[in-house]
Amino acid sequence: MKARNAALLLAPAALALTIFVILPLMWVVRTSFNHTVDGAYMVSAFTFENYTRFLGSGWYLVNTLWFSIRVAILTTAISVLLGYPVALYIAGTRGVQRNVLMTMVLSPLLIGLVTLVYGWIVIFRGGGLLNSLMIALRVYDEPVRYMWDLKGVVILLVYIGMPYIVLSLLDSIERINPSFVEAARNVGASRWRAFWSITFPLTMPGLYAGLVIVFTLNFSAFAVPLMVGATDTQMIGLVIYREALLNNDLPFASSLSVIMIAANATILLGMSFLFGKLILNRLEAKR
Amino acid sequence: MNDSTGKAIQVEGVCKRYGHVSAVNDVSFDVRHGEFVSLLGPSGCGKTTTLRMIAGFVMASDGHIRINGRDVTYLPPEKREVGFVFQNYALWPHMTVAENVAFGLKLRKRDKAFIRNKVEESLAVTGLSGFEGRLPRQLSGGQQQRVALARALALEPQLLLMDEPLSNLDRALRVAMRRELKKLQQRLNMTTLYVTHDQEEALSMSDRVVIMSGGEIVRVARPLEVYEDPQSEFVADFVGTTNFFDGIVSDIGEGVATVKVGETLTLRVGNRISAAPGSAVRVLLRPERVRILAERREGANMLAARVDFIEYYGPTLRYTVALPGGEALFVEAHDIHGSAQIGETVWLSIEPDHFRLIDRKGAPAS
Ligand SMILES: Nc1ncnc2c1ncn2[C@@H]1O[C@H](COP(=O)(O)OP(=O)(O)OP(=O)(O)O)[C@@H](O)[C@H]1O
Ligand SMILES: [Mg+2]
Repeated sequence: MKARNAALLLAPAALALTIFVILPLMWVVRTSFNHTVDGAYMVSAFTFENYTRFLGSGWYLVNTLWFSIRVAILTTAISVLLGYPVALYIAGTRGVQRNVLMTMVLSPLLIGLVTLVYGWIVIFRGGGLLNSLMIALRVYDEPVRYMWDLKGVVILLVYIGMPYIVLSLLDSIERINPSFVEAARNVGASRWRAFWSITFPLTMPGLYAGLVIVFTLNFSAFAVPLMVGATDTQMIGLVIYREALLNNDLPFASSLSVIMIAANATILLGMSFLFGKLILNRLEAKR
Repeated sequence: MNDSTGKAIQVEGVCKRYGHVSAVNDVSFDVRHGEFVSLLGPSGCGKTTTLRMIAGFVMASDGHIRINGRDVTYLPPEKREVGFVFQNYALWPHMTVAENVAFGLKLRKRDKAFIRNKVEESLAVTGLSGFEGRLPRQLSGGQQQRVALARALALEPQLLLMDEPLSNLDRALRVAMRRELKKLQQRLNMTTLYVTHDQEEALSMSDRVVIMSGGEIVRVARPLEVYEDPQSEFVADFVGTTNFFDGIVSDIGEGVATVKVGETLTLRVGNRISAAPGSAVRVLLRPERVRILAERREGANMLAARVDFIEYYGPTLRYTVALPGGEALFVEAHDIHGSAQIGETVWLSIEPDHFRLIDRKGAPAS
């Protein structure tokens, strides 16, 4: 009876998942083996040519796959470094102060991406806010190029990734019983030591969840590199978009998608293994 | 190590305010070396706050706290060298039992062999040998409680603070652990300050009990004194059950006074009477100090009463009886056999020395 009710409740989600995720995915996998005739139409086939074209090309591997991974690692790492203290700080606030801070942190998610990018253009421009500020602070003398450059892409990906990191960390931090830290202080740990030995390990579930989301988003990012990137910021999501919609090479775009998903899955699996070994296996009840 | 005063803890005029709320108000008491002292009081009376100020988790708004003569009022918790056992145990969930116990020793940079021995020893003392590799979530509540204790004991603190360490355990285990804890405390001769709202726990374990109410101390005394001579209505009511009579002292004789309660009841009350004739007093009487008889006998206080209600508690029976003037009275009796029935008239015999007197304002009248 109970199981049947649960199945009924799950049915719409299962249906949506099938229609919007599983079927398209199957179609993508199938298409990735098709052949493209020059002049832009595809014929049904079963060939690995799309895969060898990408995987056999050192240029693609370095400038697209490896490049995307590097950008994703870099931006995720910066988001964590910046987001962790922010989450810690917010966890200690209440009331109005907290609401203001939360709104600020969540703003990248509340403002549409296009508005966001236009806003950042004002900041990034040659004589824009960022350059004026940096020059005024004598960090550098000449305006630096942020717009249509990797720097702008990285800054924006970090900015958009932060809310996910902060939210998932905040959840973990607030689950920690305050007496855990008190107990550590009681047996002789300084604030600093109590943080590293108790608070930090106990926030790993939140950090892990945030990492998974932000890494995946940034690894497959396409809108930000499209709008802010340069000709050499060939992130894999952007390349897929170009092949599919501009070059109309669906089989190649599909094979790139499969490779992207596989690469992401491999990296996440590695991360899951690492975090599990380090700490998560201890915290989660074995089923 | 031991200072000349012989005091392990001195709490002097300590206050804690949260905004306009006064959680602890001008609290002063001492704990002597090797002594077991309980902080007892109803929920919200400031016991935990007081204990946490001594441990350094919260800062006192006013007053001073000394540990072994040293003023620690402004010292951070890690510098105070006191053991603390939390009500919820606060075991670190990502560390095994052994790691939990070893953490403080590692911070003290003791060598590996020493730490291993000490962990082993602490776990043996608390009956946890063999549980070293378990995680806290793989333990029962009672076992977690022992780990929390072992973690504190491993550092050989001169002073152990405990905040209702047994309150999350079931009754049988609580009683067993209570004894174990007390034996351990005596064996290690460890100064202990123990917070509880369980009077039985406080009375059975403590050398002295500090009773708190509304953020203030109302009584500091040995368990026997607390129970037998509560000296205030609050203590009498909070520790055990008490019958109250409001009356007027009508006559004072040789060690025995006469107190008139209402129109029909006259009590012959012994024991250190200093109240003048005519003064208003409150008479306290423990239910188990009343003897219940089937027939009238000779005695200083022999009262007829009607049985209204009987509760069976196992070892005892509690009668609710009504006196002719309408006063209700609890009587506790052990002899289950030949007991009275509801509606029957019985005789109550009370020794004059079993009454306690306080004045109407609540202060002792003796
Ligand atoms: N952080 C705080 N902020 C505001 N008020 C507090 C705070 N901590 C405690 N109080 C208040 O101080 C009073 C005493 O609290 P405390 O925890 O010391 O009580 P307690 O005697 O330990 O009670 P219990 O038996 O329920 O544990 C309570 O009225 C409580 O609401
Ligand atoms: Mg408490």
